Amino acid sequence: MAQIELAGKMFDIDEDGFIQDASDWDENVGAAIAPTEGVTEMTEEHWKVVNYIRDYYLEFGVAPMVRKLCKSTGFDMKKIYELFPSGPAKGACKIAGLPKPTGCV
Amino acid sequence: MGSAVAAPSVNQETKKKKYPYYIEKPLEEGRVQKFLEIFAAFLRHSNYKPLLEIYSRASTKCSRCANTCQIYQATGDPKDIPCYRSNILLDIYRRHFTIGGWLRGRILGDPGLQEETIDEMLDTFYHCTGCRRCSLECPMGIDHGLMMRLTRNILSEMDIIPKALLVSVREQLEGKTANTSAIPAPAMMDTCEFLEEELEELTGHPIKFPIDQENVEYVFFPAVSDYLLEPDTLMGNAAVLYAAGDQDNWTIGSQYFDGINYGLFYNDAILGRIVEKEIAETRRLKGKKILIGECGHASRSAKAFAPTFNDGEEIPVISIQEYTLNAIEQGKIELDPDAIGETVTYHDPCNIARSGWLVEQPRKILKSFVKNFVEMEPHGKANYCCGGGGGTVSVDEVYDYRMKVSGKIKADQIRATGAEIVVAPCANCKKQLKELVEFYKIPATVVGLHDLILRALRLPPIDKSSEENNEQKSQEEQILEGSGTHA
Repeated sequence: MAQIELAGKMFDIDEDGFIQDASDWDENVGAAIAPTEGVTEMTEEHWKVVNYIRDYYLEFGVAPMVRKLCKSTGFDMKKIYELFPSGPAKGACKIAGLPKPTGCV
Repeated sequence: MGSAVAAPSVNQETKKKKYPYYIEKPLEEGRVQKFLEIFAAFLRHSNYKPLLEIYSRASTKCSRCANTCQIYQATGDPKDIPCYRSNILLDIYRRHFTIGGWLRGRILGDPGLQEETIDEMLDTFYHCTGCRRCSLECPMGIDHGLMMRLTRNILSEMDIIPKALLVSVREQLEGKTANTSAIPAPAMMDTCEFLEEELEELTGHPIKFPIDQENVEYVFFPAVSDYLLEPDTLMGNAAVLYAAGDQDNWTIGSQYFDGINYGLFYNDAILGRIVEKEIAETRRLKGKKILIGECGHASRSAKAFAPTFNDGEEIPVISIQEYTLNAIEQGKIELDPDAIGETVTYHDPCNIARSGWLVEQPRKILKSFVKNFVEMEPHGKANYCCGGGGGTVSVDEVYDYRMKVSGKIKADQIRATGAEIVVAPCANCKKQLKELVEFYKIPATVVGLHDLILRALRLPPIDKSSEENNEQKSQEEQILEGSGTHA
């Protein structure tokens, strides 16, 4: 498995660059992943989405339903795509250190 | 000695195989022998042998199927003609498992299956989306979709399978969450609670997603990805069940709640194990029927194979579309004919349309309340695949192929309708079609069937009127009872 250095730590990553062990994630790691998903600067709005996903994942073990993400952050889908050009599942979740979504996602 | 030196160089040559999709454990050596061993086992232990015997004799390679195949129409490559593809497997059968083939090897020196053919198969049999449109035209009755599945099945037994399918199925069959999207049961239930709140906000009605209710009529299995991506489809499903008076008559099982069955695309044994899980959960809850949500292959795999893999009392399988049409026809639910102003078209998911099973039902539903309905051409049994069938939609690394090759004709078809809304009652098709309209900049929105139904569903105003009714009743009671003591 490939490895990558993010914010001074080594991570195992899959073919698409998703980190494999979410427990070592911190905001510096998230910020280091961001440019690979077309996010040049992590603003407060970016963090609002990423932190919500992160907290939900830590509580429930999976990303939140997209509608819940929108409702909880107050951003609509258009806004989410503006913030994360590769979308909530592949972009925001990757920056939040979640594993790659599986199944029909 | 010379040969001992030569051997490693051959091995080095065969190393670093290129695969068109991610593979977890790429097999570098001995692939030919392994393929033949597994093929032989299939012939001994399954019913495929008589079929291959017939197909290998009947196939005339007439290429009439070429006209039907959207992959061939997009690439123009003769290798994408369905009967060319099937013939790769049939030729291995002829060469290695018939007397004629044995003679071919002995007398003509035909070396038989080669490494390059393995490379060709693992690529071309994943070009095919398994839509089975070619089955409509083959004059010899050959089911090329079945040949695709058998080949993929053999390949998967030697670990040649897209990683995306493998890890999803592993989580479904062996993982803690028991579903392809790895959603833990508490997360599914949290999502359902959220959707109940959304429905209450939208309709004012206490529409529920019942969990683990026993002795109900319907145990519900949607494509589990709906719990992440498709709130309107799920809310539409629950709202129809509520409006039709079945709120207390359906349930979601917390131990197993995934309708997805990738086994249908690549492995018969896995297909069976997944269907058995649906049956076991239905039985655990003492449910009477399996109700499948909006998903083509989930519907087909359960409908077609539940009888095969159910050892106990029969459990009927119905699709949510059949349920909803029935509710409309029996007058249990009412849809507002003015709710949908947009032009709407319908995409037939191959897995429910090719056999003719669910072709008329969704159209009857849509035409009952949608004013501006337009058909794609062709449609129904002869529809074109979304381009992401056969599991390919879940394989992100073949995105370019799905957009530029397999989905091209579908994009043209959608554009030609001029429709503003494309209805596709299938999680798989919806993902592919959403990506297609985005890729080709087609100004259309892709939704599920029950997303539209939710918009049009007429529910009686609940809050004030029911309170008024109660007040009225208590007044009547007061009069009848001649008592003024009620508050």
